[in-house]
Amino acid sequence: MSKTQKILIVEDEKSLAIGLEYNLTEEGYSVDIAADGREALRAYSPGVYDMIILDIMLPYHDGFEIAEKIRQSDPQCPILMLTARTTDKDRIKGLEAGADDYLTKPFNLKELLLRVKRMLERKAWYQSSTAEQPVVQFGPNTINFANMSATTPTTSIRLTQHEALVLKYLIEHKNQVVSRQELLQNVWHTNPDVETRTVDNFIMRLRKYFEKDPNKPKYFKSIRGAGYIFQEN
Amino acid sequence: MAKKKPTLFFHIFIFVLAQLAWLSLLGLWIYWFVSNQFIFNRMPEWVSEEMVSQTTNLISFVGGLVLLVAISVAMSLIFRNLNLQLNLNRLYDNFIANVTHELKSPLASIQLYLETLDQRTVPEKRQQEFIASMRHDADRLNTLINSILDIARLEQKKIAYNFYVHETSNLIKELVRESREQFKLNKNTITVQGIVNVPVVADKNALQIVLNNLVDNAIKYTEGDAKINIEMSQTSKKVLIKVTDNGIGLASKKQKKIFQKFHRLLEGNSPTIKGSGLGLYWVKEIIHIHGGKVSVFSPGKNKGTTFTLELPIYKTSKKRYIEQLLKVTQKLRRTNPASAKENDE
Repeated sequence: MSKTQKILIVEDEKSLAIGLEYNLTEEGYSVDIAADGREALRAYSPGVYDMIILDIMLPYHDGFEIAEKIRQSDPQCPILMLTARTTDKDRIKGLEAGADDYLTKPFNLKELLLRVKRMLERKAWYQSSTAEQPVVQFGPNTINFANMSATTPTTSIRLTQHEALVLKYLIEHKNQVVSRQELLQNVWHTNPDVETRTVDNFIMRLRKYFEKDPNKPKYFKSIRGAGYIFQEN
Repeated sequence: MAKKKPTLFFHIFIFVLAQLAWLSLLGLWIYWFVSNQFIFNRMPEWVSEEMVSQTTNLISFVGGLVLLVAISVAMSLIFRNLNLQLNLNRLYDNFIANVTHELKSPLASIQLYLETLDQRTVPEKRQQEFIASMRHDADRLNTLINSILDIARLEQKKIAYNFYVHETSNLIKELVRESREQFKLNKNTITVQGIVNVPVVADKNALQIVLNNLVDNAIKYTEGDAKINIEMSQTSKKVLIKVTDNGIGLASKKQKKIFQKFHRLLEGNSPTIKGSGLGLYWVKEIIHIHGGKVSVFSPGKNKGTTFTLELPIYKTSKKRYIEQLLKVTQKLRRTNPASAKENDE
């Protein structure tokens, strides 16, 4: 029997937290609630929760601060920011602080539950696929998928969850052409008709990290009209 | 999201630039005047002497100077008002961010419960809980929307219009009793000290808003159980009501700003982020309408806060203004007895 997945809700609006708790419990998750930033940091320790649903405007410590602190000790725990703040600036700040997804209030219940499910699936896939081979080497670069870090000849990098997922997917499909749509569906779980630029931006970042000359990539190559291919030689 | 705050350096830079511009203009004017002095001196030779007074030079010079000084004053005024406007815009952005949060959170909760009841089979007991939560959130939305819509009435001094003479101690005790009921507080949370048997003219409902805002703030900004002490005293002309809490207190440099419209103190250690930035503005405006004053003092962070309300004693201070308040109430009562009665209740 599989272990019940545990979710921490960090939300100062009591009625909203109780409503979320009810729905997530009905879906089979085990749920804890933290009513403010201080409680959240007290409740959290690495490995205890499978996922965190995090508000931004919180007493004592805001959601950005909490996400950053969690990311320092646990790069893999999925964080969904659930907030009334809707500006692009907040969204970017949230994602930069370490959130994996961002949903604004008021939200659609089905959409929230689906996002939670996908994030947990993604985490499970990532953990199972990296369990056998947590460290991968190509050229002078080493990637540690377990702690989501990488070392290159010039520096060491802490990877975001999406960067690690894209890398993992491309390395798993070595020497195969992977389309942008495929990546969007399997890594981001989003509609492949939109946001193909997102994939291009991530590939550009990976090239910056791992290619000697990002303009003439050796490992992450573009295949015109088809997508990308990872090749070691 | 608040826009990037223009720095003090930016404002000073603009001000210095403006002053340099007008000083240059002044320099140019003096240069023009001196270089044309010769022409002015020769003017009587060209035109008939009746047409040119001896004081022409002086008038031209002084006139030019007055004009330039007027330009300088006008520029300073524009600069001052621009600064005020920028500050107001910044506060307004804060207000929008706060209100967005305050509106969307209960709305999100109501929507969540409605979808839950629609999509799941919820046991009856939980259904009742959910409905109670929705009611609570709807009330919260209603209160917030009313406080925003009532700002215009407050600013036109239409909020407090039901003024009567009250004996201070009795009035304060009644207001405290009402606040205890509204916030469901036990007797020890708010204590009252002092007896003041002098009369004041007050709109009870408006003063209830004042006390409720102070109590609400004390509860929100206190870690653990709030303790509020209300102390009454009097001077020869004024009644002093000191409302002291055991909350997180205020840094001294922030004490002046807290009565500004839309201003909010959001610091890392704040035990709450709820609020619209209007509560203390309401307090200040209502007390002003009563002919009084409000001030705040805190010995520092985590040392509590004291709000001091000053109200003029009836027939002793601000007599004409207070009589005017009573007259307006009587007039309103004659023209619209229903609304006056409603307000009494």
